[in-house]
Amino acid sequence: MNPVTNGALKSKKTSKKPEYSRFTQQELPAWKPILTPGWVITSFLAIAFLFIPIGLVSLFASERVVEIVYRYDQDCVPEMYRGNVSAYIRNSLTNKTCIGNITVPKKMDPPIFVYYQLDNFYQNHRRYVKSRSDKQLRSAAYESSTKECEPEARFNKSGDPVPIVPCGLIAWSLFNDTYNLIKKDKVLNINKKGIAWKSDTKVKFGSNVYPKNFQSNDLIGGGKLNESIPLSKQEDLIVWMRTAALPTFRKLYGKINTSLEAHDTITVVLENNYNTYSFGGQKKLVLSTTSWIGGKNDFLGIAYLTVGGICLFMALNFILLYVFKPRPLGDPSYLSWNRKAVN
Amino acid sequence: MSLDDAQIVNVNNPQQPSSPDTTLQRHVLDLGSKRSRDSERYSSISMSHREINDGDARLVHVNDALKTNERFEFAGNSIKTAKYSLFSFLPRNLFEQFHRVAYIYFLIIAILNQLPQLAVFGRGASILPLSFVLLVTAVKDAYEDWRRHRSDRIENNRMASVLVSDRFQQKKWKDIQVGEIIRFSADDTIPCDTVLLSTSDPTGVAYIQTINLDGESNLKTRYAKQETLCKTPEKDVINGFIKCEKPNRNIYGFMATMEIDGKHLSLGPSNIVLRGCVLKNTNWAVGVAVYCGRETKAMLNSSGAPSKRSRLETRMNREIILLSVFLVALCMAVSVCAGVWLKRHENELEVLQFYRKKDYSEPEVENYNYSGIGMEIFFTFLMSVIVFQIMIPISLYISMELVRVGQAYFMIRDNKMYDETSNSRFQCRALNINEDLGQIKYVFSDKTGTLTENKMEFKYASIFGVDYSGEKTNFEGEQRGYSIQVNGQVWRPKMKVEVDKELLELSKDGNNTEAGKHIYDFFLALAACNTIVPIVVDTPDPAEKLVDYQGESPDEQALVYAAAAYGFMLMERTSGHIVIDIQGERQRFNVLGMHEFDSDRKRMSVILGFPDGSVKVIVKGADNSMFNIIDKTLNLDILKATEGHLQSYSSIGLRTLVVGMRELGVPEFERWQSSYETASTAVMGRVALLRKVAINLENNLEIVGASAIEDRLQKGVPEAIESLRKADMKVWVLTGDKQETAISIGYSSRLLTSNMHQVVINSNSKMSSKTSLEDALITCRNFLVPGGSDGNTTSVALIIDGTSLVYILDTELEEQLFELASNCAVVLCCRVAPLQKAGIVALIKKRTDDMTLAIGDGANDVSMIQMADVGIGISGQEGRQAVMASDFAMGQFRFLVPLLLVHGHWNYHRMGYMILYNFYRNAVFVLVLFWYVLFTGFTLTTAITEWSSVLYSILYTSVPTIVVAILDKDSSRRSLMAYPQLYGAGQRHESYNSTLFWLTIADTLWQSIVVFYVPLFAYWKSDIDGSSLGDLWTLAVVFLVNIHLAMDVIRWTWVSHASIWGSIIATCICVVIIDVIPVLPGYWAIFDLASKGSFWVCLLGMSIAAVVPRFGVKMFIQHCKPSDIQIAREADKFGSSMELARQEIELNPSRR
Repeated sequence: MNPVTNGALKSKKTSKKPEYSRFTQQELPAWKPILTPGWVITSFLAIAFLFIPIGLVSLFASERVVEIVYRYDQDCVPEMYRGNVSAYIRNSLTNKTCIGNITVPKKMDPPIFVYYQLDNFYQNHRRYVKSRSDKQLRSAAYESSTKECEPEARFNKSGDPVPIVPCGLIAWSLFNDTYNLIKKDKVLNINKKGIAWKSDTKVKFGSNVYPKNFQSNDLIGGGKLNESIPLSKQEDLIVWMRTAALPTFRKLYGKINTSLEAHDTITVVLENNYNTYSFGGQKKLVLSTTSWIGGKNDFLGIAYLTVGGICLFMALNFILLYVFKPRPLGDPSYLSWNRKAVN
Repeated sequence: MSLDDAQIVNVNNPQQPSSPDTTLQRHVLDLGSKRSRDSERYSSISMSHREINDGDARLVHVNDALKTNERFEFAGNSIKTAKYSLFSFLPRNLFEQFHRVAYIYFLIIAILNQLPQLAVFGRGASILPLSFVLLVTAVKDAYEDWRRHRSDRIENNRMASVLVSDRFQQKKWKDIQVGEIIRFSADDTIPCDTVLLSTSDPTGVAYIQTINLDGESNLKTRYAKQETLCKTPEKDVINGFIKCEKPNRNIYGFMATMEIDGKHLSLGPSNIVLRGCVLKNTNWAVGVAVYCGRETKAMLNSSGAPSKRSRLETRMNREIILLSVFLVALCMAVSVCAGVWLKRHENELEVLQFYRKKDYSEPEVENYNYSGIGMEIFFTFLMSVIVFQIMIPISLYISMELVRVGQAYFMIRDNKMYDETSNSRFQCRALNINEDLGQIKYVFSDKTGTLTENKMEFKYASIFGVDYSGEKTNFEGEQRGYSIQVNGQVWRPKMKVEVDKELLELSKDGNNTEAGKHIYDFFLALAACNTIVPIVVDTPDPAEKLVDYQGESPDEQALVYAAAAYGFMLMERTSGHIVIDIQGERQRFNVLGMHEFDSDRKRMSVILGFPDGSVKVIVKGADNSMFNIIDKTLNLDILKATEGHLQSYSSIGLRTLVVGMRELGVPEFERWQSSYETASTAVMGRVALLRKVAINLENNLEIVGASAIEDRLQKGVPEAIESLRKADMKVWVLTGDKQETAISIGYSSRLLTSNMHQVVINSNSKMSSKTSLEDALITCRNFLVPGGSDGNTTSVALIIDGTSLVYILDTELEEQLFELASNCAVVLCCRVAPLQKAGIVALIKKRTDDMTLAIGDGANDVSMIQMADVGIGISGQEGRQAVMASDFAMGQFRFLVPLLLVHGHWNYHRMGYMILYNFYRNAVFVLVLFWYVLFTGFTLTTAITEWSSVLYSILYTSVPTIVVAILDKDSSRRSLMAYPQLYGAGQRHESYNSTLFWLTIADTLWQSIVVFYVPLFAYWKSDIDGSSLGDLWTLAVVFLVNIHLAMDVIRWTWVSHASIWGSIIATCICVVIIDVIPVLPGYWAIFDLASKGSFWVCLLGMSIAAVVPRFGVKMFIQHCKPSDIQIAREADKFGSSMELARQEIELNPSRR
């Protein structure tokens, strides 16, 4: 017989029992909200009572904004060119000056913002938004990084392609109508300083980058730039380069720091240079005050009032529901198998 | 030694009788014992009729590694489980990763984006998602592989003592070669598959533990051949060679011949020890390496779990196809609109400031990026696919994998599914069907070892027609069972057995009385006719030792312990003899031969040489197989009486065995011996030959008696079954046991109740099966009259046996059986073969959409486990076959209740919710992009920066959904256990169905409209720039989807708080970071935007307005049509807890 040792009993090894912790047993302390009828009604009422005042305040703020919109793209085309607008707009020799009148409906307190508004201009078109070189705008060292700027990247200077600064379709299509406002024979001063974001003038656009070869190609898209002023000072360009999100947009032209009284008549003397006729776009001059909510827009106020109203209505409905068709919470007799047994 | 091929072919002709040990292979007792079936499973391989011919043999020269390895390069013993090396990592890992469809989709999108015409995103942004997932996976793989490298290194550098130039020297495992002689000491791990040459035991026995190989912890015996036993490798030169099979993965089979000193010996599975086994209770053993390294059976067997796909995922794929249709529709819409727009502006394109078709910078004026309307439409289509790519939530597949890992983590660590007796945790072997656990409708359960403990206890005996089933008494007073004195020490059996007093008294009488003689024969048969090995174990008391009976069949163990309790104590077993202490008198019996158990004969026999020189054959087996070979001319009344006793034993759920005996005359013995030796040394068809010899021998037996063994029900089984049935699951029991046993287990496990009507089908022809099926259907319909008297309608239980199933399965009767079975509350199938079990599962699986689950513990359940949607293995007494084939493994049947009702329910709910939420989350983002495209001249500009688009699904919103899908609980464990009916939510697909899908899509549409159009109208005609509006949309969408998720979270732990609010904060930080990069067009936009009141008003307004409808509808449904889960949750929180406590079923009584 073998001298048998105690080998078989060695199996009493360490226990594999999982260590207890609230985490592993999925028993972490937890907040288990249950929306009781009370809570449901309270939430609806809370939304209603939050939204209705906000709606009213927004609507009120929007009402206080005074806005004058003056569409001039059609009126500013002389009779003789009405049939052939593009001949008029593309000919640099025609007189583009145009005069119009606007009336101030209500008193406007400074600052009054002067915008131009373009309709149907897809500044968010894919070809367009991509056609810019942020590197080039920022630093003179990247002058020739124009790869993204096609088809407005280089100018063929006597067979030798040189980079255009600022390159790209966006810069190329710079808006170039100009406005002068005259109130009672006095020129209203439009302050064009500080219309661009500070972050843009300080960081994004370089103070050592000067326009070069700009608008030198045959097809001219828009405004020209003074080659002796660095890009960081060309605020019109900077504003234009912040491409608009939507096909109908406004861009800041300048600010008026005097107030306009109701029924004032203002004469607008403008240079109608920019070609929106090719795509049937509209051009408008907008004078507007602002409020905390921005420009004149009733939408947010109405939307808030609607949502608030609906929630109030829902709250009432739920109250009725709970009164006329109550259900005790957690009543086991409502469990499906118990209901079945009763039937 | 030289040899040529002619010599090798000659091995069929054995010149020398071999020792009987070749037959001492694994063998088993009848019926319930699964051992039989797993040997059956392997028989086709190990007992094959193949002859080892030169083509597929390997030739090992003993102690001559050089010669062995000169012709064929056999693998060395170094192993490499690591997949990659430093250089192969990158290419190979990438190759493997790209096998997944998800990654290929990412790749195609990324490649499309690289074409200049289609470049929607910048280089970096387009590659980011793909490289992110690739990187995460690669890091994970690299870490795992590093661990494998480390364990390989440790393994390869372990030391073994190898014979080198006639001395044993320490050698690293990796340097061991085929043909070398290795010496192991006690408790050594075997480094490679080795044929034993000699052991410290004079008879050549070595005990090994195979726990690393198949998880079985009992000791197994292996034998060295008599011919090599006497040789000492250092002194004697061992000349010889071994011819064996090519390496294969069958760990229970081995076939070889050894030629040593001119003698041919045949080798079987009992002569080889496998890599990974541990030598136990044996001082040393010497063997020759035959398979090394990756060719060892252990390495060949290291394969992964089978992969199944969950039902939820299959359904989800249908919706993914729908989403693809949406995607294509969106893209078509965009490209058609783009075409129309281009057509309308065709003449203006050239001068349009924002289009400008031509490039004037070159001398030749050419079209710039414009190739005709047709091509533009095509490009627009492809670009929109790139922009809207996340409409198909590819990241969902990755999230699902992470979530399943998380869920598995919690299932494995659940204390309530830890089994103390086997010290085993719950195991998740398949990682992709967690959620299927929540939708089970049919449970197919094995009986032995699954419902019962498979710990056998000897209960009653019927000896020569006398039933000894009187009152059992434990040993009264201080008396501690039977013990014997050996060398001044007291030896007693390790397990105590309750004894029948009368029988004990009678057994002490010995051979003196007629009854005593029969009892003597009976217990001698029990003690001798088995393969149990007694192991003597020390106790703290030096004067006392315990005898532990180690064996592979629990039935045999029980019988040997019983014999010991009645004074027939098996003390020693070697290959040639056994020593039994009979009432204090030690007797030695020669084991002249043994016919192992096989499933055809359903019995085993041993040929015993008695001390007085007589030779007897003792046979033990299943009643039906035994009655055929018992001599009916003798003692017919005793036979009748025994049959009666068997009937009554099995009717109370006991497992029965019949023992028979016959004395062999000299001529018959000699005849048998010669044929036995021929058969056992045969290389070709050895098993078949041995079976024939056995059948010739086992006849005309005289009945000795019958034994009854109890297999107790596992703890908590009746309660578990009741819970499962309450949860509207149909529990079917499929067992190999007799009908009476099955029915009685059915009663004790509360599967059958007294108010059930039993329909029994026992047919032995197709016609009778058909008629009984039809009759059964009629009775069944009578009992199930719709609208019958209140709740307590009697239900019907179907009991059907394997023979009837033979005529029903795979014929047109299947349909009727299905109809009958689906109307029955309980189905019990008895006497079924392993393949029939799978057939029954298939019967249900083919005809319904309901999920099936099979649970079992033995090799005979493997086919059923693999066939069912979810297969569960019980890691219990039987081997690891079932566990290896299963998707999940656990220690006890009762764990099925927490697994299904709690974890399954949670997993299903979580996964269902996560899928819908992911659809919504991605679609809402895509729709916001889509609406914007309608306002950009259909040109796929995105106001949202490309970085945000890319980060949206991998950073901004991914974490909360994963966290919620791992941690959220829609109902507490307590209510789920108390109301098993809550499980119905999964069976009715309440968390994921097409109604929910379409509701989600409608909600998505509304939410995207709110998110997009509120800012659009608010900022129409304003001076807002694209980047600012884009930032607003980004924040709005992220706020919205997180608020949406927050509304649906049921349990707010700190983790859910952190992830949901954390993602919102992370998003804000990311948006800020993106906006402080000066070279991006959106520089500073967020700061400018946030300084204006309209931004905050918009953000608040749309976050609330978007979710109000959802909130209202949800609250309405919650009040008017509350789901069961909802009510349980309320009850859990407010009162009614009294009721819950009262109804709670304590499923785990051992738990404090």
